[in-house]
Amino acid sequence: MAADITKELSPLPDRTPEPAFSADELVWTAAEQEQMEVYKKRYPTNDGAIMRGLWLAQDKYGWLPPEVIRLVAETLEVPYAQVYGVATFYTQYFKERKGKYVLDVCTCFSCQVCGGYDMLHHLEEKLEIHVGETTEDGLFTLQEAECLGACGSAPMLQITNGSYLHNLTTKKLDTLIDGLREGKRVPFVSVTLPQDADDLDGNRRSDVKATDTYHAPPVAKTVK
Amino acid sequence: MPKVTIDGNVIEYEGREKLLQLCLDDGVELPHFCYHPSMSVPANCRQCLVEVGMPVKNRETGALEVDENGDPVIRFFPKLQTGCSMDVSDGMVVKTHRTSDLVKRAQKDNLEFLLVNHPLDCPICDQAGHCPLQIQAYKYGPEGSRFEFRKVKKPKRVKLGPRVMLDAERCINCTRCVRFTDEISKSHQLTIIARGVKNYPMTPPGMEFDDPYSMNTTDICPVGALTPANTRFQARQWEMAPTPSITTTNAKGANCFYWTRDNLIMKITPRQNLQVNEYWLPDEDRLVLDQFNNNRPEGPQVRADGGLQASTWDAATAAAADLLDAVDGSEILFVGSAYATVEDNYLLTKLASALGAATPVYLSHVETGHGDDWLRTDDRTPNTQGCERLGLTRTDAATLQAQLEEGAIKLVYVLEDDLVASGLAAGALDGVSVILHHYNTTNATLPAADVALPAAMVVETVGTFVSEDGHAQRVRPAKAIKGINRTLMMETGKSRTDMHGTPFDRWHNESHQVDCQPSWETLPAIAALLGHPMSYKGPKQIMAEVAANHDAFAGATYDAMGLEGVRLEEIGEAV
Ligand code: SF4
Ligand code: FES
Ligand code: FES
Repeated sequence: MAADITKELSPLPDRTPEPAFSADELVWTAAEQEQMEVYKKRYPTNDGAIMRGLWLAQDKYGWLPPEVIRLVAETLEVPYAQVYGVATFYTQYFKERKGKYVLDVCTCFSCQVCGGYDMLHHLEEKLEIHVGETTEDGLFTLQEAECLGACGSAPMLQITNGSYLHNLTTKKLDTLIDGLREGKRVPFVSVTLPQDADDLDGNRRSDVKATDTYHAPPVAKTVK
Repeated sequence: MPKVTIDGNVIEYEGREKLLQLCLDDGVELPHFCYHPSMSVPANCRQCLVEVGMPVKNRETGALEVDENGDPVIRFFPKLQTGCSMDVSDGMVVKTHRTSDLVKRAQKDNLEFLLVNHPLDCPICDQAGHCPLQIQAYKYGPEGSRFEFRKVKKPKRVKLGPRVMLDAERCINCTRCVRFTDEISKSHQLTIIARGVKNYPMTPPGMEFDDPYSMNTTDICPVGALTPANTRFQARQWEMAPTPSITTTNAKGANCFYWTRDNLIMKITPRQNLQVNEYWLPDEDRLVLDQFNNNRPEGPQVRADGGLQASTWDAATAAAADLLDAVDGSEILFVGSAYATVEDNYLLTKLASALGAATPVYLSHVETGHGDDWLRTDDRTPNTQGCERLGLTRTDAATLQAQLEEGAIKLVYVLEDDLVASGLAAGALDGVSVILHHYNTTNATLPAADVALPAAMVVETVGTFVSEDGHAQRVRPAKAIKGINRTLMMETGKSRTDMHGTPFDRWHNESHQVDCQPSWETLPAIAALLGHPMSYKGPKQIMAEVAANHDAFAGATYDAMGLEGVRLEEIGEAV
């Protein structure tokens, strides 16, 4: 008899997760249900509304465990597998529980040479976690992100799929973290490109109050 | 008719066709992975790139522009086009790798990309030998790779469902498997998860890939990412020889190949027949290897000294003839079988009428709710229609039991069925002689048999089955039996010539040959001893007689049935 050379089978990844939400929690409010109907009507077929639906669900539950993904699928009457595929495609959909504030520090090329890693490491030390982890108080999750399209104001970070924080310095980060710990959000500051300084009153974003202008970017410690 | 020119050859076509399909239909080979004729066209593998151009028309006059030689001027698309998604149109000019270095280069580079993270573990991969990626990399691919960094790791040896194994590293993300569950089986159990180099097909959490048709994904997966779990590591592709036949798990008559090595059936795969099963086979049809290979009888047996004793074919047929001779025709109950071929059942009816017995009955094996309106049917036998069309009387175990209890029956002759397992109380056969043609030693009627005659199964015989839809199809022997039978030898497909005389030649060894006989050989032998000679050269002649004498089988000759079968006229009542 030949030796058994077969290796052990790998189990399917997260096959039988413990549900994070009970059946009672997995219901939409009337307003949410109505919103879902609006999304459904917006597209020729319901699968067009998957991304909207997932977004709404993430707003409500904070993240997307399998049972929430299934709820979205059932609401939209599209296959669960398809919705799961979409949810796993985008990192902005959280498949694990995250902190209240998810800090996406850009460490892609431009930010990297301007100190993206310096910012990241500063936050790691300040929050006493490694990148990818969540603080014990459940307040912060620290992540690395690829280019978020704001290279002109590098280094930068994004807060929970939302507003950007530009022209980062360690001081700015300290203010941000200390503020958030006390429940205070730092106001969003739009960065105006030099060529806009004269036009548009120096503010491209008419919807934001605070603006800043272009600075000569800092240089990463390792580059210096 | 509209025309396209492919590599200088003019091809006429009809209707709206995709370029790749046109090439395939016309025998112009084009490498491809993601395209499948029965599913949507995502054009994601990029392997079928070709140069495509259209003749230039003068904008004002609409006339074709010609060059100085009088040939039409062709304007080519600036980029290569995917043949699978390209609609052909009249006058189109196509250059494949046969005439275009650009296309050749594209195919090579594309394969290099597809192989960047592919593990290249062909030596231990079940797909090796029939792997489109392997074949096409060999034919069109680069000799090496410029990607020399560490490959991306993904889950391996994942049991995606009870019958399908996944090796995500081998996947090229063609999405054929996903499209199969979305568009064909409609179970929607698979999706591609994650993105970029990290993606692979998976079920969503809490769901198993247990689609009753799940194993079709292992056929259409163009790499070794999805492989059947039941035949994993059992045989290399080149060790097996395929025989075109049909499956007998249900009444659909789905076309298949039986793959044989050393006279064992190693695997069962679908065979294309657009009239019956298209490209597909239900999982249940593939999981029946065991019944062909194991618990097979070792030659005929005759009851002596209170038990079944091994015998010879001559002695056993003589014993059967003696038993039949000892009773009056009216005391014999012939039980035909929806598992047996038309030929065998036909000979049984002839024997019954020669002996003056009633028309044979047959047991129906219907499992209500099992069917699905696709390739699985409620009927779990392959030949109910064949029995009906021959005029056999349908019965069930309870009716049989009542009949036996009346006491008028002295002998039961069972053709390839199992009365006890079908619900007949074993005691009902006490005091009745039983002659039994059986497939397996697990046949529960065997302990009651006086003469046991091992019968050749679908993989060992030649014969005809009629599907639920009235499709008459013939089967061919996929493996050799012990006895020497000229018809079977002639019908057994030859091995590939390059295997002739090698260990992979299917004639090479005699191991695992079962000592059984086709019933169309056993029945005439018994009939002859009883003075009712049935002289047929073989099942082909039997079937020709059936087709000639029974309207319900009109046209069902071997030549007409060929490989894809013949659709018979509908008869009044079906199952
Ligand atoms: S597993 Fe096979 S069929 Fe499915 S996407 Fe990958 S390569 Fe294609
Ligand atoms: S590199 Fe950081 S925003 Fe572009
Ligand atoms: S077959 Fe055309 S892109 Fe895959």
